[in-house]
Amino acid sequence: MQTLNYDFPARQVAARAVHIGVVASGDLEILLEPPAAGDHVDNAAVRVRTSVDGFDTVWHEVLERFFRRTSLAGRWELNDFGATPGVVTLRLRQAAEAATENETLP
Amino acid sequence: MTDTANTELLAGQTWQQLLRRRSFIELDALGRASALLDPASLRVLAGPFDRLESPWLEPQGITPQADDGTVIARGTVEGHPVVVAAIEQGFQGGGTGEVSGAKISQALLRAGADSRAGTPTAVVILFETGGVRLQEANLGLNAVAEICSAVLDLRPLAPVVGVVAGTVGSFGGMSIAAGLCTRLIVTPQARIGLNGPAVIEQEGGVEEFDSTDHALIWAVDGGEQRYATALADALVPDDADRIRAAVHDAIAAGVTESGRHRSQRVDVLASRLAMLDPAAAPSPRDLRRMWGGSYDPIPIPVAAAGVDTRNEPPGTRGRSWLRALTGGAAPQAIIPSVLSATAETARYLAVVPDPDNRFYRARQGQVGLTESLALAQSVRDLIEADKDAEQKRAIIAVVDLPSQAYGRNEEMAGLHQAMAVTTDAYHAARTAGHPIVALVVGTALSGGFLTHGLQANQILALDDPGVEIHAMHKAAAARITLRTVDELDQLAKTIVPMSYDVEDFAKLGFCDALLTVENADAPTPHDVETVSAAIDDAVRRARSGPLDLSNRLDSEAAVTTRHASRAVRDLLAAQWNPEP
Repeated sequence: MQTLNYDFPARQVAARAVHIGVVASGDLEILLEPPAAGDHVDNAAVRVRTSVDGFDTVWHEVLERFFRRTSLAGRWELNDFGATPGVVTLRLRQAAEAATENETLP
Repeated sequence: MTDTANTELLAGQTWQQLLRRRSFIELDALGRASALLDPASLRVLAGPFDRLESPWLEPQGITPQADDGTVIARGTVEGHPVVVAAIEQGFQGGGTGEVSGAKISQALLRAGADSRAGTPTAVVILFETGGVRLQEANLGLNAVAEICSAVLDLRPLAPVVGVVAGTVGSFGGMSIAAGLCTRLIVTPQARIGLNGPAVIEQEGGVEEFDSTDHALIWAVDGGEQRYATALADALVPDDADRIRAAVHDAIAAGVTESGRHRSQRVDVLASRLAMLDPAAAPSPRDLRRMWGGSYDPIPIPVAAAGVDTRNEPPGTRGRSWLRALTGGAAPQAIIPSVLSATAETARYLAVVPDPDNRFYRARQGQVGLTESLALAQSVRDLIEADKDAEQKRAIIAVVDLPSQAYGRNEEMAGLHQAMAVTTDAYHAARTAGHPIVALVVGTALSGGFLTHGLQANQILALDDPGVEIHAMHKAAAARITLRTVDELDQLAKTIVPMSYDVEDFAKLGFCDALLTVENADAPTPHDVETVSAAIDDAVRRARSGPLDLSNRLDSEAAVTTRHASRAVRDLLAAQWNPEP
């Protein structure tokens, strides 16, 4: 198991906390919370805990691409059980959508 | 697909209804809880953002889940106050760990407190579990014992409804809890069993159970078969609305009259087992005819097949200690594999090997069908004999057993239900005021220990290398968790609940004393004196202590080791009622 931390610049703030997904085989859960008091409101702080070691670069690429398009600030926690990049992106989009419902993403 | 297969999966639905239906099985745990509760009534307690995850997984390199894979949701069903405990089958195969288990038992206990205070609060448990999470072994095993006890505490006050929808089904110790429920609802896709097919094949060989034979698996464990043999109360299709309606019916029916629960029907179990001969085992289809679809004693039980040869049973620790502690008086064999010795103040019970056991998978001292029945009968007899006594006699469970019986006949007959009968009996004795003391003198593994030992007020163990307490024997646990035995030994050094060492078991908070003896195999007079004194102390503590299992969370060791369970208890208490 590996724990990875990333920060990405962000313009919009998550409106609400959301929980998406399950730590099931080939899947992951995402906990997204709006920035806490004292956090930078222009930062997406991402912590990934993954059961599969050695994919740091892939994680960075997948997350970078997502946050370039969906610039959502807050605390992101990803608990991963071997999800493929496609599933990760799907779950990220689901979380972003649920956290900004009735608002337009930048 | 044949017409028969279609009919089975439709379970009474037309194909038009099938097409319109909302699948329940496809929902995750939260989705299932939402599907059962009245709209907008759902409130999740100890949810993902409370981050009560398992403290034992990350150190083993396993990604934890923020709610440990169990959703506790309060709400109403047609206005009735209800708590849903939904197990997420995707996370660790729904395995019961310390936190997920404590969430269920504490929710049951709080529902019990509300019910006693005048608001009957039903609990619906959505069983989707492979059993105890082997990565949290002994803490998972204990969690199941606490869940069973809490189900039995609540059941007279408010209904406890079990739902097994699939696709994981219910296996392992949690199936004992399923066997204790007021009502059990299944789908045709559900499976209920004590031992899963793969484990039986691993332990007993492919001729005992071919775990690749899916038709066989569902014929033995499947929801339809369990319903047809009255081991489940309702068979409904995989349709969220139909399952919700069945849950509502079960809640509206209220509590079942005492004595009528399946797990209290020692008589039905006895008559069913009397006509089951493993030497001429019926097919699962024939079993339906033999046992019938109602849970009543079978009128003319066929006499059990006689055994001509009686091989000398091997000497074991269980036998030696039982004999030594009861003053050398010849113990009575309730059946050859269950010994009982009744002294003035206590009854001693032990499960021992019987080389001629007609249930051949229970010949080495495993707890099987007839052992569960004999234990339950003996415990129930003592409750009855002492019902007017001011001081109830103690029950000393002498524990030296390799496991439960891993066998196809055992599963077909519903070993989980037989064990539920024993669990119920021990719980009934404990709550009636009989001090129950488990004395572990040898191995105490898995479902065997759940049935014979873990419902005790007090647990004592010999401090001896031959004493081994665990959720599964080492070789099997290694195979199932895809580790080597060496890796398991390494992990056990830091992950206390995984250790096979009795000194580590004593750190978990529910071992009340470790006893040093000179000879654990053949107790010396001095050993007998030591252990007898320890039993007397334990009986005294049990008489002045709580009748439930709360002392397991309040002990000094629990404060250190079971801090996660205690955090669950505190958080559920804090969140139980909505903030004003």
